[in-house]
Amino acid sequence: MRSLAGYWTRVLPLPVLAVMAGTLFVGGQSPPGVAPTHAKVVDVIPASLSGETNQDSEPFLAVQAANPQVMVASAFTPNPISSAGNAPVYVSEDAGNTWVLSAITPVQRMTCDITHAMSTGENHPRGDLHAGTLACAASITLDESESDDVSSSAVMNVQSTRTNVDQPFVRALPFSNIDHIYVGLNDLGQSSGHTATVDVSLDGGATYKSYSIESRKTMGQDGPSVRPAVAPDNTVYAAFFGWRKFNGSIATSDVVVVRDDAGATAPQAFQALKDPSDKLPGRLVVKRVSIPWSNAPTLGQERIGSTLSIAVDPNNSSTVYVGWADRGRKGDIYTLHVRRSTDRGVTWSKSDLPHTTISNATNIALAVANNGVAGFLHQQLSGGRWVTHVVQSRDGFATIQDTVLASVPADTPVEQFLPYLGDYDYLLAVGNEFRGVFCANNTPDRANFPQGVTYQRTADFNTKTLTDGSGNPVAISIDPFYFSVPVMP
Amino acid sequence: MNTSRLFLAGILWMSLLSPGELPQATDNQAALVKQSSIIFAGTVSQVAATSFAGVPKSAQTIVVRVDSVLKKPAAVSLKKGDNVTVEVKDPAAFQDGTQATFFADGWIFGAGVAVKEVGHEILPSGGTPVAAAGTGEKTFGQLQQEIGDQDLQRRVATADYVIIGRITDVHQWIVPKSAAARYRTSEHSANWHEAVLQIQSILKGPKVKRNKMIVRFPQSQDVAWANAPKFEKQQQGIFILKKDQVSGDATASLGGYTVDAYTCLTPGDWLPLSDEARVRSLLKK
Repeated sequence: MRSLAGYWTRVLPLPVLAVMAGTLFVGGQSPPGVAPTHAKVVDVIPASLSGETNQDSEPFLAVQAANPQVMVASAFTPNPISSAGNAPVYVSEDAGNTWVLSAITPVQRMTCDITHAMSTGENHPRGDLHAGTLACAASITLDESESDDVSSSAVMNVQSTRTNVDQPFVRALPFSNIDHIYVGLNDLGQSSGHTATVDVSLDGGATYKSYSIESRKTMGQDGPSVRPAVAPDNTVYAAFFGWRKFNGSIATSDVVVVRDDAGATAPQAFQALKDPSDKLPGRLVVKRVSIPWSNAPTLGQERIGSTLSIAVDPNNSSTVYVGWADRGRKGDIYTLHVRRSTDRGVTWSKSDLPHTTISNATNIALAVANNGVAGFLHQQLSGGRWVTHVVQSRDGFATIQDTVLASVPADTPVEQFLPYLGDYDYLLAVGNEFRGVFCANNTPDRANFPQGVTYQRTADFNTKTLTDGSGNPVAISIDPFYFSVPVMP
Repeated sequence: MNTSRLFLAGILWMSLLSPGELPQATDNQAALVKQSSIIFAGTVSQVAATSFAGVPKSAQTIVVRVDSVLKKPAAVSLKKGDNVTVEVKDPAAFQDGTQATFFADGWIFGAGVAVKEVGHEILPSGGTPVAAAGTGEKTFGQLQQEIGDQDLQRRVATADYVIIGRITDVHQWIVPKSAAARYRTSEHSANWHEAVLQIQSILKGPKVKRNKMIVRFPQSQDVAWANAPKFEKQQQGIFILKKDQVSGDATASLGGYTVDAYTCLTPGDWLPLSDEARVRSLLKK
């Protein structure tokens, strides 16, 4: 096998090899040497749940930075044995090679939103996992909770609870032996209509304080996605959709970025960045874009309406990227855009960065590695398939390395609920890796995974079928996939 | 599978059909069966050990080789010969070679299965399972029926109404302005609709004026609401209803009158007409 690969390496030009490998270089600069060869893609469904057929959509990932072997992933995965049991998460203690499902969230059966982060401030090598979960029963209830050892199987400790919020999005930062936690969320209980909010805890989750980060008039609320990004120097950014008009199917929205330079420790947090047009807190990256809102299958079998991401360079917090989707032009469904600021959010690129205007795509997730390389995860509907890309660039996407992680049929399986793949996926930079999660059709077909793939669940790649571990066929469904891709040098 | 079913049938046979002979064991076994999501017979192969990575080892964890699987969810891969980690209540009760039936709840799922003991029964010498009955298949069905009936009985007991009827109209609920603040836009929005229910028979609940009710239901396919029953015009069935305490407005407008609104939110709150005799029977108990 190795010699055959060597033969093709010699006889084929690099672009052809790159496409064959699912990795494509574009732009003015040539890639150094060869493409990364150690991308890893793992279906996280454990072997002992080989019979499951859930739509395990909307994935998320947390990595213990001081002990990156330890990770927690999540999805809309129900408790596999009991509707009265706790909703589970996936835990890996070997850098993502294997995963177990452990029912540790405080929510019964299944969350209807979950994100989380692991931070090192309290020196727990398998913690501290800080999670924001929504339980959707008679009312939608947010729990902000913590585990100091995700391998213990103990249910997470709920530290704060309230109702009528949407899309909690958790980031955390160690600071003087304590974790600072930032939870972006849409607080629909805000009577002012300034619903974009960041819950801040400066004491490891023991107490939280909510900051509304919207300072302008809204149509009654902001969009669902409120995304914080934190840098080790205690700079905290947050991005949100400032909804100015909404007619039920189109939101006219600003994309707004706020910043705090002291980890939101001062009484007036997130006021550092003001827009020159009105001198109000929150820089308007773009104004009044049209964002389609459809809580029905619209982009393939996926709904659309609120995909947003922000990432800050961990070693240079002046450099920050923001990405979102809108209806770029008439006839368009949903198009991604990425912009960059190199002056702490004061000014932004006037147009999309090169190679970042992606039509018919969603689930944007941005991250910046220690060496300044930016990563751009997204899922594009193309030719009847959902294609999952990780795009990397060291020069603001002027030149890129595009790694295709998966290309799977978009019409199967039929959706069980919405979201089909998720309202988000996730990307993190960990040392010299980009790690992340995405969801996809789980047909065991190597052609669907150009970087290769490992299944824990029972799968026959020759017959392209799943079985339950006893030889009985199992229907194709949506699974969460963990991945690791080397950061460009 | 047959072995498993026969064994479980044996438990049931004892618990359901021979109450006079083994009253305490019967009650205990029936309760254990109902409380357990995973039941298997197995042989202890290691104590203070675990069967796969990712399970915290303790003095309470033992490894059991599965001899037969009696009950498990379809999603769970578990078969004869597998090694299962069991977190037991009393580790002193087990040693290498102990054969027992384990009544358990799921705990951790990875390369293998880890469970928490709900209860156990040490098998007689030689490991022969509890006596199986010749009427095994029928008895297994009886157990499933009994568990299902108990769930349904709880459901109808807590309902305000149990109605046999037909949906004559479905329309979107226009949220009153007074409640509009509650209905901001979210991907989890319920998209409330109202179904007009023409009552054919009231199985539980007081008489209803004009013989019609409003059933408010979420039309949304969002993950929060996807499992809630959805209704269509002309749909018939048995509606197990509670006064609306979810949508934010407990009343509705019906033919110009203000009436109570009802909901029917969880799977099983609507049943086909073929379940009528069963529901009537349970209501009499």
